Amino acid sequence: MKRYIYTVLTILVVCASACRKLDIPPQNIIQDQDVFSNPAGIQAYMARLYSELPIEDFRYSPQRGLNFFWIISPTPATTGEALSRDQTSSMQENFGGWNWDIWGGSYTVIHDCDYFIQTMPSYSKNFSTAQVNAWLGEAYFIRGMTYFGLVKRFGGVPIVNKTLTYVVGTSTDELKIPRSSEKAVWDQVGSDFDFAIANLLTVNADDADGSRANKYVAAAFKSRAMLYAGTIAKYNTTTLFDATQTQLCGIPASAAPGYFQQAYDAAKMLDGVYSLYLKAWSATDKTAQYQNFVNLFSDASSPESIFVREYQYPNSVHGYDAYNVPRQLIGPNGYSSEVNPTLNFVEMFDGIPKNADGTIQNLGSDGNYNLYTNTMDLFANAEPRLRATVILPGDVFKGQSIEIRRGIYTGSSAAGISPLLPAGSRSQYPTTNLIQSATAGQNPFTLPDGTLMNPAGLSGIFTGDQTCAISGFSVRKWLNPNLATSQVLENNETQTWIEMRYAEVLLNRAEAGYELGNAGQNGAGAADAFTIINQIRSRAGAIPLAGGMTIDTIRKERRKELAFENKTYWDLKRWRIFSKEQNGTIYRILMPFYSSQAGKYFFDARTDERNDVYTYDPRWYYEQIPQGAISKSTNLVQNPGY
Amino acid sequence: MKKTKLYYIAFGLLVILNSSCSKVDNYPAPSNTIKGSTIDAGTGNTVQTEVGGSGTRVKLLETSYSANPTPYYFQSMQDGTFDNTKIFAATYKISVEGPFVPLVVTDNVGNVVSDESQNVVIKGTNTVTNLAFKVEPFLRVDMVGTPVFNADSTVTVQVKITRGTANPAYQLDITDINLYVSNTLYDGNNNYDPRYSKLTSYSGSTGTSLLGQTISITTVGGALPQQDVYFRVGARINAGLDEYNYSLPLSAKYP
Repeated sequence: MKRYIYTVLTILVVCASACRKLDIPPQNIIQDQDVFSNPAGIQAYMARLYSELPIEDFRYSPQRGLNFFWIISPTPATTGEALSRDQTSSMQENFGGWNWDIWGGSYTVIHDCDYFIQTMPSYSKNFSTAQVNAWLGEAYFIRGMTYFGLVKRFGGVPIVNKTLTYVVGTSTDELKIPRSSEKAVWDQVGSDFDFAIANLLTVNADDADGSRANKYVAAAFKSRAMLYAGTIAKYNTTTLFDATQTQLCGIPASAAPGYFQQAYDAAKMLDGVYSLYLKAWSATDKTAQYQNFVNLFSDASSPESIFVREYQYPNSVHGYDAYNVPRQLIGPNGYSSEVNPTLNFVEMFDGIPKNADGTIQNLGSDGNYNLYTNTMDLFANAEPRLRATVILPGDVFKGQSIEIRRGIYTGSSAAGISPLLPAGSRSQYPTTNLIQSATAGQNPFTLPDGTLMNPAGLSGIFTGDQTCAISGFSVRKWLNPNLATSQVLENNETQTWIEMRYAEVLLNRAEAGYELGNAGQNGAGAADAFTIINQIRSRAGAIPLAGGMTIDTIRKERRKELAFENKTYWDLKRWRIFSKEQNGTIYRILMPFYSSQAGKYFFDARTDERNDVYTYDPRWYYEQIPQGAISKSTNLVQNPGY
Repeated sequence: MKKTKLYYIAFGLLVILNSSCSKVDNYPAPSNTIKGSTIDAGTGNTVQTEVGGSGTRVKLLETSYSANPTPYYFQSMQDGTFDNTKIFAATYKISVEGPFVPLVVTDNVGNVVSDESQNVVIKGTNTVTNLAFKVEPFLRVDMVGTPVFNADSTVTVQVKITRGTANPAYQLDITDINLYVSNTLYDGNNNYDPRYSKLTSYSGSTGTSLLGQTISITTVGGALPQQDVYFRVGARINAGLDEYNYSLPLSAKYP
């Protein structure tokens, strides 16, 4: 009995001591004060926000989205800049596959920015005002970038500038925020960048290497965004209104000059702060101009780099070289030559013999092929920027001559060699008098002088597999010439991605200025644009413009300068010319052949041998809002045509 | 020992039986039908289109479910008819979208100016089989005669393109006139053989000046291979979603 009482007593004591209220914060969850009261916590918060920035870098493709390692459907193969064996048609961005949640992901980043903006002020006593303002500026910058990433894809999207709290059991109606007008979202982007410009320092105090935003970074992106908005207002023809007359797609044309002016002014802010990279440049030396343009993409101290994304092994890596080296420099993963520039792209540059219609001149006046001792002879005077952007057949990379040859022609050359196919033909090459190779494992052919020669070059072109320079060219831009072939691996590379460089800011300024000049608001705009285009051209080693500049001159310069930087995709989209350029289009290629009889090379220009047709559907100017997002938030109105 | 095992088996059986006790609460599968066609108000013919996403589609708004429902779309067939046998019984506001003057017209600030959608009530097992939408196609594309094989085994078709609407907002320039070649009947901008099809884009009023004339278009790329082949001409103006108006697909006998 006594024992029983003791037991009851013990239980009572134990229970009573547990009656204290449990109000200590959980030790296993990081609290606001852990993050917001010291710079290291804020740096960690920022690191995640920056890693989620929607920039189309080495880890982006329309097929697989942002921050994905596997880039075998490269962006340039959707724009006509290049052909790729794994991307054979026009495409819109694929939000459905590969876990790319553009909608939910972007709003998560926006929420995290809003949370930072709401929470930071209550911890401001720990820091100087300048520090707090600069960090807030970064949060606004990242939010602006994220809205920019949404509006350029979808048009008007919901604007959420506060964190939403859902109480379990209550109605979700308040959370179903409808889409704002497209114009309101562009204005939101502009005002977020304005806040960032006003509050950020001229040099980011935490990281001055361009990987975090400063005042000028925000201004540079503002120029890009406002130019985008201006061109939409001017050139877009798709409109969509919701039931309350909010214009979800399209901007009234009257708003265009205002946006162009903002783009122009923002670009002008960088005047004298950044400059075009000219460290190795010489006015008279084409080789120096070439080397200068190559170095621009790898020099960490370049005064042209404004905003960059850095990579670090093994935490954050990419595989650009592994996917894109020429076939003969193939890395251990077995990938190569995913980006093969089209002849259409190459023909935009200076220094190549051309016909009156701008196509490459590969035939003599007698209608027969011109003959060359080396494949590079055709490109002897090519614009240095072209050589730095594209590996031309026979040019040197990593100490090797990149050998690109379609086959050996064994027919007679005594009376000249007439074209293998009629002009414009899309048929296969006739196989009589033609020795070709299906794969990289080749059977050498004995030339008349007894020497042996492989039918195809070391980097192609092979008829059976497409792991080669299928267009006759291979990409040069961004490739690291110092990376040992054994290290050319996926998830192993760390070159810096330059998301914003001064050349783009200048081109933004030129385009905005010229559009304003047209709108009759700023007569000096067109003259300024002329000067800028010639600055860019002179650095590139191109022939300076004499006059007669049109908007197409500026656009073409932009496409050449920013090629393979994943910018052309968005430019073609905002100019609304994607569906005109890719309208049953088959891109052109340039095939070098060796004539065994003449002992010389000749080139055949033709359409893509695979007959891959590119047709851009005009609906894609506004992407489809993911169906899952509409199911969750039923006030969202779908874009036209989906 | 043996008894324990029995208990386990009994318990397992109970769990299995219990889990299958859930009530079947599936909604019966939709079984009503909506069938109809998009008809050229001027000629009474159905409006030719292409199969797939870039052709005519039917838009259903289930107004009995919500005042502002999420639209449900289904595609029309190539010949301009549509038939969907998996429709729930409900009240619908139905319209069609395609290469013709829209049935729901919105002005430049978003007000609905006119709305020729049709309201349809589907109850019980009834079906709607004769839904007809009279529309004005942007362009009428008519083959003149039949495709003709030339001596070099290319094919020439003759075609006449006229406007299908007098609406001043759609008197736009013709941007493309294309002869599509395919070895199936489903021939159009989304499915053609690029080796032989003749695609022509026009700028300014060059294409428009061909309106009303009989024009000849010949296949490209040399002799056609000796197999089934269909020819269809598509033309478009830069309106709406830039969809094509098509002629009937015609085949030709290899000589």
